[in-house]
Amino acid sequence: MPRGLAWLLLALVLVALPHGLSFSQQEILVFLTINVLLVASYRLLTLTGEWSLGHVVIMGVGAYASALLSKRLGIYVPVAMLLGAGVAALVAYILSFPLFRMKGFYFLIGSFAAGEVIRLLWKRFRDPFGGPKGLKRIEGMPDLDLGVYALDFFEPITYYYFAAAVVAFCLWIMWRIERSPVGLTFHAIHWQDKLAEASGVNVRAYRTRAFVLASGFAGFSGALLAHYIGTINPNSFDVEQMVFVLTWAIVGGTATFYGPILGCIVLTVLNEIVLREMGFEQMRPLVYGLIMILSVLFLPKGLESVVQRVLSARKTG
Amino acid sequence: MAELLVQTGLNALYAAAYMSLIAVGLVLIFGVMGIINFAHGELFMLGAYVVVALYADFQVPYVLVAALGLVFVGCVGVAMEWAMFRRLRDNPLGGLVASIGFLMILQALVSMGFGVRMAHVPPVTQEVIIFSERVRLPVQRLIVILAAIGFLTALWAFLTKTRFGWALRASAQDQEAAALQGISINQTAGIAMFIGASLAGIAGALTAPLISVNPHMGHSVIVAAFIVIIVGGVGSLEGAVLAAVIYAFVHTFVTTFADGVIADVVGLLLMLVVLIIKPTGLFGTADRA
Amino acid sequence: MIVKFIKDGISRRRFLGSTASLAGLSALSAGLPGAALAAGKVVKIGFLAPLTGPVAAWGKPGLDGCQIWAEWVNNAGGIKIGGEGHKVEFIGYDNEYDPAKARAGATKLIREDGVKFVMMLGGDTWPGAQPVADKTGMLFSTLLPSDLGPDTSTLIAPAEVHPIYNVTGVEWLAETKPDLKTAVMCAQDDALGLPSVATYLAAFEAAGIQMQGDPLLFDPATTDFAPVVTKLLSTNPQIVCLDTCYSDYVHPITEQLFQQGFKGQIISCTADFYDQMIAKTSKEFMEGFIFQFPDFDDPALNASNINFQNPNGFFEEYNKRHPGEWGAVSWEYASIMDLWKAAAEKADSVEPDAVLAAMTKSGKGDHAFGRADWWGKDLFGIDHALVGDWPVVAIEGGKARIKGFKSIPDWYAKHGELLKKHMAAYGQMWNQRG
Repeated sequence: MPRGLAWLLLALVLVALPHGLSFSQQEILVFLTINVLLVASYRLLTLTGEWSLGHVVIMGVGAYASALLSKRLGIYVPVAMLLGAGVAALVAYILSFPLFRMKGFYFLIGSFAAGEVIRLLWKRFRDPFGGPKGLKRIEGMPDLDLGVYALDFFEPITYYYFAAAVVAFCLWIMWRIERSPVGLTFHAIHWQDKLAEASGVNVRAYRTRAFVLASGFAGFSGALLAHYIGTINPNSFDVEQMVFVLTWAIVGGTATFYGPILGCIVLTVLNEIVLREMGFEQMRPLVYGLIMILSVLFLPKGLESVVQRVLSARKTG
Repeated sequence: MAELLVQTGLNALYAAAYMSLIAVGLVLIFGVMGIINFAHGELFMLGAYVVVALYADFQVPYVLVAALGLVFVGCVGVAMEWAMFRRLRDNPLGGLVASIGFLMILQALVSMGFGVRMAHVPPVTQEVIIFSERVRLPVQRLIVILAAIGFLTALWAFLTKTRFGWALRASAQDQEAAALQGISINQTAGIAMFIGASLAGIAGALTAPLISVNPHMGHSVIVAAFIVIIVGGVGSLEGAVLAAVIYAFVHTFVTTFADGVIADVVGLLLMLVVLIIKPTGLFGTADRA
Repeated sequence: MIVKFIKDGISRRRFLGSTASLAGLSALSAGLPGAALAAGKVVKIGFLAPLTGPVAAWGKPGLDGCQIWAEWVNNAGGIKIGGEGHKVEFIGYDNEYDPAKARAGATKLIREDGVKFVMMLGGDTWPGAQPVADKTGMLFSTLLPSDLGPDTSTLIAPAEVHPIYNVTGVEWLAETKPDLKTAVMCAQDDALGLPSVATYLAAFEAAGIQMQGDPLLFDPATTDFAPVVTKLLSTNPQIVCLDTCYSDYVHPITEQLFQQGFKGQIISCTADFYDQMIAKTSKEFMEGFIFQFPDFDDPALNASNINFQNPNGFFEEYNKRHPGEWGAVSWEYASIMDLWKAAAEKADSVEPDAVLAAMTKSGKGDHAFGRADWWGKDLFGIDHALVGDWPVVAIEGGKARIKGFKSIPDWYAKHGELLKKHMAAYGQMWNQRG
């Protein structure tokens, strides 16, 4: 099948998808779309070999910034979203100075601590962050009147189309970045950081670049979330959420661009739709935990390795 | 004021005691296996629930229950090593995810078995040593302090004086070299996991009569434990103990003289400052992970 | 957009009607038993609260209580609408105390299950469900009236007007033990703790009781309370106030107060599982501990002004099914259902707007603890909190006993300005939120 046709087919499926779902599944689809951007941005961060536990808090920075800009200053929501992404990137840039003194496990925990400090600041300063209750009544996307068709972004389907288009565009940018010389250097740093350093690459500068870029996209996903549910609070961005992002990425596999996205989709559908439908109320975390363990034990290279096997089997077969 | 300082010091000593038990286990597991055991807080929780199940519900003598808690949680640790971590030795991120999955399973199992609300643990002793009107040390807290000193001394003796301890330290320093020396990695990993888990379990069993026992209690200790092992330097047992003492004193004194929320901020800032000045922690040397 | 829908009442009703029939259609076409039930006159009630996770203790016991309520009502012939009995069925959705999941859950309950009323814990999760409520006009209830606001006309707080009723305990204390003049307070720094701090500050000020220092805030993740208690006792207060702490805090704090030698008065919002606290301290130490939530086997609840149906029997049945789980939320959701059932039968309809109208019509309602006023404009911007008398409970000889009922509106008439002052200082007035 030619490439173009495959993409067209995918686009058609994505357009048709919400119409085959129930109302609450449409809601879940919106959150899933936003999380796809989050997890893809997380992979961009991990390209240089560093794993962060502060990524969800950075997402929150974007969410808080965008929400406050539109609430307090009355900035047009789409503009506020972009500015929110910018603020997240800026905060990441500032954090990169202390954080990139560390590596590996220390970076992991250091990023966690930095994130917790930010979360405590949200809790501590009721003005402007709203304290533990967070922000409420955040402006939604303004309705768009296209003359013949009025877009109401409260409706999950409408917001899904908006989010899906924006997320697809962001994914395309991330893909381009990864294929650019900068992205190739990210990979080089991951596998051979001493060698890269010896050949004159400023490793820290590239790590910072990956961190800042990834944080910008994460911040944007936060803004998408904030203006959809209309409320955010410090607990929406706690370490439990981070653990989910981390498991999506690892269960999906991070060797390919689509691995983390696959992990996010499969695990979310399992947890939010399949397990709920099967009526496991209190058992749900148990089954989910079991799935996580089994997947890292039996699919150590992630779900992406299954896809790769299928694809290569088709090529040779 | 002097009374307040002394009482706060006693409070801090207790916090340092249980925190070092938890942190040392976490460090040991990380040192030998290179795996961040996110479920460590849940092992602590499990130790407390052994007390709920046997002491509170069946009136088994407390000393026996505490010993059973130690052994049982240690065995859970060995089972984790055998079922998960052994197969994920060259995959630290996989180990992390597996431990998170295990944490969810433990929480759900305990919630289903014992309910989501806090469980009741009757007091083991209500004796209080009264130094003065405002300086008092409950005996149960004294037990925790003494037990921590005892267990940590025993661990230190085990690590420095026995062959197993020597093997453990060797593989914590350099796994490949240790393997070349004929040290079985599976064996040392199993021992490390047993010790690490049982220390968390005994901490849970000993503190159960003093704190609120509920299925989510592990979450609140794991964050503090991470701060402690970072400040101490990952992979350093002495560092973990010293950092637990420092952290406990700072946190307790700030709580008493400012408030609890500020104490959390100060604790995190303490860790960030240590990381910025010495990115490998106070006692850390090698750049692991 | 949302405003347009609210103003346009007709379109909203049409919207509800169409989704309900849609839900019916989809159930029919899928051949689910739900379709058959619908024909047998069932009214579905949504229960949207945390059922797993750390906040589950505020949801799960309430659902358990509702199941008992439903069995009793159904066995007695259900809810009479149009001369016909409708059976009640509760549909739970675990929102894990997460606003996004609350939104998805509200959508599912309303647009797929076709529920006629949704009960929530509220708090963090309410703002997530709020747009769905605005859009569909569905009737929601919350346990936390601080969720109320003038822009949502379909949210009510009919059971617990937390934390305003806490003033009754302080008022009673000041009348009964007038020699107690100094107090200290601690609270967890969260959405439940802070408005309660403001309320207690107002109540103490109104009673002429002096606070010795600012309220001590601690993080919700605290496990060791010795430092907190040491600080509280350092000023030798006569009263220690535990604010609205969760039982996971009330217990260890009380135990520490005992061990660190406190001999004064303790006042708290809740004292769930107080028998365990007695076991951890002593009967003498706990004597006179004041709080606000009675056991429902209390003889005082058999008085004719109490509207909760068969409180003693409910308490007995609940303890039989869920031994050792009785707490503040066990009865609250069920008491909301009493109110809802009465309103639905009065309106002769289960449609949300009809029920709400019948419920609030006279400005009065039958609260669990007696006839009460729909009130709250000052604090919440809307009169959707049901406020009347509230019991003051004290532990006597190891058992919780209602010491009397105190009127919240009477207190507020005298000291309302104080309450507003302290609420404003903690940023808790409706126009300061979010």
